[in-house]
Amino acid sequence: MMKDMENKMKRRWGMAIDLDKCTGCGECAVSCAQENNLPIFEDDSDIPKKMTYLDVMRITNDRDAKFPDVKVAFIPKMCQQCEGNDPKNPQPPCVSVCPVVATDTGDDGVVSQIWSRCIGCRYCQVSCPYEARVFNWWKPKYEGSFKKSLNPDVSIASRGTIQKCTFCSHIWKKERDKAVMKGELDINAVLYTPACVSACPTGAMVFGDLNDPKSEVSRLARDNRAFRLVHTIDQKKPDEQKKFRAIKNFPNPKVYYLSSKQWIRDLMRFK
Amino acid sequence: MKKIDRKDFLKIAGGAIAGSAVGTVFSGAPFISLQWLVEWTQDQHVPSSGLEKYLKGVCEICPNKCSISVRMIGERAVKVETSNSGCPFGQTSLQMLYHPDRITTPLKNTGSKGRAKFTPVTWDEAIKDISSKINGIIKSGKNDRIASINKERNLSSELLDRMVNSIGSNHSYYEPTLDTLTAGAVGGMLDYNFDDADFILSFGARLLEGWGDSASISKSFSRWKERKVKFIQVDSVCTRTASAADEWVPIKPGTEIFVALGIANHLIKKKGMGSGAADFGAWSAIAGEYTPEAASRLTGVPAKKIEELADALSRAKSPVAVAGKGGKAISSSSAEIIAVYGLNTIVKSRSVTTKQNVNFAGAAPIQTAAKFLAESKKCAGFDEFVKTKNFDMLIVNGADPVYKSVYGKELAAKLEKSFVVAIMPLVNDTAAYADYVLPSITSFESKTAAGDPVVKPVDGAIHAGDAVLRIAKMVEGLQQSFQWKSYTDLIALTGKTAGAAGFSFKGDILKKQLADLKKALGDANYSLSLVPIEAPVVGDGDGLAFPYAMKVLGSETFSSGKLYVQINRETAKKHGICNNESLKIITEKGKVGSVKALLTDSVSPDTVAVPMGFGHKFYTRYAEDKGVNPREIMNDKIDPLTGTASWLVTRVKLS
Amino acid sequence: MKKIIDYLKNEFNSYSKNIRITLMVLFALVAGFLIFGIQILFWGLGYTDMNNNFAMGIWIIGDLGLVALGGGAFFTGFILYIFRNDKLEPLINSTVLLGFMCYLFTFILLVFDIGQPLRAWFGYTYPNWGSHLMPQSMLTEVVWCLTLYFCVLCVELIPIALKHKILDSIPVLHYIGHYLHKLMWIMAAVGTFLSFFHQGSLGGGMWGVLYGKPTWFRPHYFFLAIVAATAGGTSFMLLIPKIAEKVMKKKVAPAESFQSLAKISGIMFIAYTIFRIYDIVVMSVKYVPLADRSFIDLWGGFFGIWLLVVELACCAGAIVLLNLKKFREQEKFLFYGVICGVVAVVFSKFDAVLHGFSVPNFPWKGFTGYFPTIQEWVVMLGSFATMALIYMWFAKYMPFFPHLEKEKHKEGGN
Repeated sequence: MMKDMENKMKRRWGMAIDLDKCTGCGECAVSCAQENNLPIFEDDSDIPKKMTYLDVMRITNDRDAKFPDVKVAFIPKMCQQCEGNDPKNPQPPCVSVCPVVATDTGDDGVVSQIWSRCIGCRYCQVSCPYEARVFNWWKPKYEGSFKKSLNPDVSIASRGTIQKCTFCSHIWKKERDKAVMKGELDINAVLYTPACVSACPTGAMVFGDLNDPKSEVSRLARDNRAFRLVHTIDQKKPDEQKKFRAIKNFPNPKVYYLSSKQWIRDLMRFK
Repeated sequence: MKKIDRKDFLKIAGGAIAGSAVGTVFSGAPFISLQWLVEWTQDQHVPSSGLEKYLKGVCEICPNKCSISVRMIGERAVKVETSNSGCPFGQTSLQMLYHPDRITTPLKNTGSKGRAKFTPVTWDEAIKDISSKINGIIKSGKNDRIASINKERNLSSELLDRMVNSIGSNHSYYEPTLDTLTAGAVGGMLDYNFDDADFILSFGARLLEGWGDSASISKSFSRWKERKVKFIQVDSVCTRTASAADEWVPIKPGTEIFVALGIANHLIKKKGMGSGAADFGAWSAIAGEYTPEAASRLTGVPAKKIEELADALSRAKSPVAVAGKGGKAISSSSAEIIAVYGLNTIVKSRSVTTKQNVNFAGAAPIQTAAKFLAESKKCAGFDEFVKTKNFDMLIVNGADPVYKSVYGKELAAKLEKSFVVAIMPLVNDTAAYADYVLPSITSFESKTAAGDPVVKPVDGAIHAGDAVLRIAKMVEGLQQSFQWKSYTDLIALTGKTAGAAGFSFKGDILKKQLADLKKALGDANYSLSLVPIEAPVVGDGDGLAFPYAMKVLGSETFSSGKLYVQINRETAKKHGICNNESLKIITEKGKVGSVKALLTDSVSPDTVAVPMGFGHKFYTRYAEDKGVNPREIMNDKIDPLTGTASWLVTRVKLS
Repeated sequence: MKKIIDYLKNEFNSYSKNIRITLMVLFALVAGFLIFGIQILFWGLGYTDMNNNFAMGIWIIGDLGLVALGGGAFFTGFILYIFRNDKLEPLINSTVLLGFMCYLFTFILLVFDIGQPLRAWFGYTYPNWGSHLMPQSMLTEVVWCLTLYFCVLCVELIPIALKHKILDSIPVLHYIGHYLHKLMWIMAAVGTFLSFFHQGSLGGGMWGVLYGKPTWFRPHYFFLAIVAATAGGTSFMLLIPKIAEKVMKKKVAPAESFQSLAKISGIMFIAYTIFRIYDIVVMSVKYVPLADRSFIDLWGGFFGIWLLVVELACCAGAIVLLNLKKFREQEKFLFYGVICGVVAVVFSKFDAVLHGFSVPNFPWKGFTGYFPTIQEWVVMLGSFATMALIYMWFAKYMPFFPHLEKEKHKEGGN
């Protein structure tokens, strides 16, 4: 009984990205591609068909402003690991729709995807409001010696399947395995850092456990600079939020963005 | 026993068939075979596993030499771990290491030059041929017609300099970098202490886009945010740096120098500040003409803003004015570098010092060398060399001047007529003209000050330093100067710097270059200014060989095989250009195209912001034939102090 | 071999010029369908204009359209066998075949559309059923329901085939056919039950549950799609025999059959239009504002509000032309009426797919476009061509229109 208590999952992984510090350098995306064995094509410039988990989106406020008041910012966007209205019973938009249970929410809140189960119907891609799921439109290619730098912890997907960011949860599994080897059986014993976060040269990305109120990520999530991507219900009054949530689920992503710039928050709303 | 009649037989047979069909289905065999079929048709690659370990290494992509950790699976390097202290260029080093287009054997040119048609030869054969060529040139008394061009200063470049100089040629050059330009303009490389600074005013220096030491600037940048250090970017385009800065001061393209002069004017006249450096009097007399109001008219920045910047600069405890426009590729006129650096001396900044490179000593030139070294003068920069001098032999060490220099075409013509040796891991636009391409190893394969190589060097490639050593040892009379067995003996000897002094304001240069600039900006035939920008990871072109660079690029840079140039919306309206329209960019030198228009107000009016790094003709299958190279048409006026074309602002028109 | 070629040549030359041209086009499309089909199946979906943002395209429109229009089969069967509207009897064979083919090609297009056709069976072995009685994923429901209903349609189709004079002469087959026909109301009931579910799930529920996407989310979308299928499907079941009549220049069914079906379709279109207007109102005042967007702003870009305008205009056309007796009884207006009906339902699918995908997910992105590639067009049109050929073959060689058979007998055989 004691042991069960100990082994109960406490983690709820989340991320906070400080846009004031993000320089749009793209190291997160390169690091992600390297870690997750993303395919390599000779001409990868067909952007709408590109296989990449992490999209560094360039945004400007030239919708609302004119030169010289225009501003630019960069938003690194990966899977937002939505959880729906109820964090205890996560209902991301994409999980319930999969006809073959190829995607699921782990008890740590991470939305997983099994490449080899996926039949490629793209229904989850349709359901995703963050365009975070990507499809292998072509057969993944790894030219010659590039195969040498493939990570054995992430399997290679077939053509015609959906892939997505999993917060690099294979790294966590690896860390847990290492802890078990040392005799540590508590599933909550180890923390980890996804590839993008450990690469960020300005420390703009922070990763950690949202359930742990002392963790930096949960501190940042409560920061008054924090907001979530195109998730304007957060700005509504609590009673209104409650009313809205009674009607339908909201994505409730676990990735928080921080910015001191009002124009970025303004741009989160459709006009 | 009852005889089985026909009917019964059919029944039994039918039953058996039906039963076995049902049995097969329920045994799962069809599904498993379908699964096999799936795998077989997909030909999935399974990465081999192995013992995992992390090795300490040094990233040698840039002179900053970050320490990194490399995740190894068996003998394979699978990930570079930078622990929040690297840069995107270092993150691509695995793609360099395992690049399928890497050369693994010396290549000899067959057929006409510039086509990159090579046949493999052995190292001995190549070294013998190259050294006998050098010996031949020495014998015929043309020692100073051997030249070299290095990408950047490192162990192998110092060795190559030593070899070329010892033969008797002064013509050992470096591709223009921040260091070479500032050294030319102010007499020493500028060393900024960004961690101490409390006010940063950057004049078009795109600090966060590969400028200087990317990794350390990124670190400083996050500390600025924590220490609330004010960081102001003066630039004509809202680049990544400008977007991350606390404030972007948009200016008319190419007019950074007038902002600097306006600030200097305000500081000198209103604050009574001055500098003790040489020629300050003459310089400040010219700067005196550029009151904030006059500067405002030229730059489009309100006079009040210029005064504000001047006040902030003088008020700060350790302010820094950053010179050197650009990111990975830098281009500033020397007058501009002097003006911006001059601001630092006027406000007596403690955070900017100068230093210079010191090559390791002890070379013993061959007997005839002294005469040539005394007679032929070294050019101020490689562009000037290409424009004014001829050569019989060029050794290219990692550099790509055919692609990166504004004089690429002229250089290519000269390369066709001379003997060219390229030492590099990937064939680039310059190597396409080489007689010999010698494969060199990459940073993870070489021994460094930090220790042993991370992975075994790829078969057939050797360290560029070793390649130079092997050639030098075969040159008659040089053996004494090149006694080392391997590059590893030189690690401790190279990479030395020392303090520099002797900054002069050079008023005459300012006067001349201001006149030229004003003339160019007033050119009515070419009413727009081309301002190069750099895409993340691609930088000034080296990054495009690494396919993961393309994972970062968005539709604002390169999409479906087309390069996008950014144009201000008002300007586009004036010229009748709509979004996504195909364009050609025309200058006095020629035209490039087609590119596509992206209308955005994040660029100044009358500006065409063109991403650099595209348009390679030969640079691996991933970089070839993607977009256009704007340097083909850029301004080729050579700066007398840096010997480099100031291409950062070019007047263009569109069609 | 030579005999066969000669026979085919003679057969082909025995038709009029227009028919010959039509046949040639149809066979060319079928050939293209095979060629491009192989390309898509072997080298992947990269050849389509679908992408990570516009994840579904023309084939899904085809699926939705075929299922909705083929849904006319269940509804006609339902009216005939359960409500005992015997006037529809002469059209039922054509209806069943159309339903069968629509569902068959829905499957075929789905196989092209999924990235891993070889894994299509995962839908049966690893269904996302969840913990409730009803499946959790709308697509699981679609897969199962379509499969079961397809089986029902197969059973319904058997008696038609068995009525062929050669097969009918075999006593066993004759009796099987006879009794199957007698039991058809059970099949109709089962089919109706199943069909209600997948009509709702594929046409509407599938989109309505996507709570992250304001263009689609609405709880009643499921039911809206069922009504759309009943209305548009019946129009379609009327349109095709009408075309057959024009081509064959013979009356394939008594006028009262057509009139009866047209009346049903017209009434269903009234229901549909009312429901659709309710839908638009509720969307704009309730569901879209939940996502902090306005309904009218979703209608932009290339696939803009004109889709909705065309759909509503065609609904109005169908209502007027099919419900008013004076129009309905004129051949021309009846024809226009059912075309309006079919177009209305097809446009409602355009609205779901083309418009739905073009809406930007981020405020800094614009509306996107989608223009199918040649592969997508040919696979799509090739399927339609195959369907047309099968229908033509049945019409020519099978006892397909009982009315026609009766007429033939009256004339004393051919």
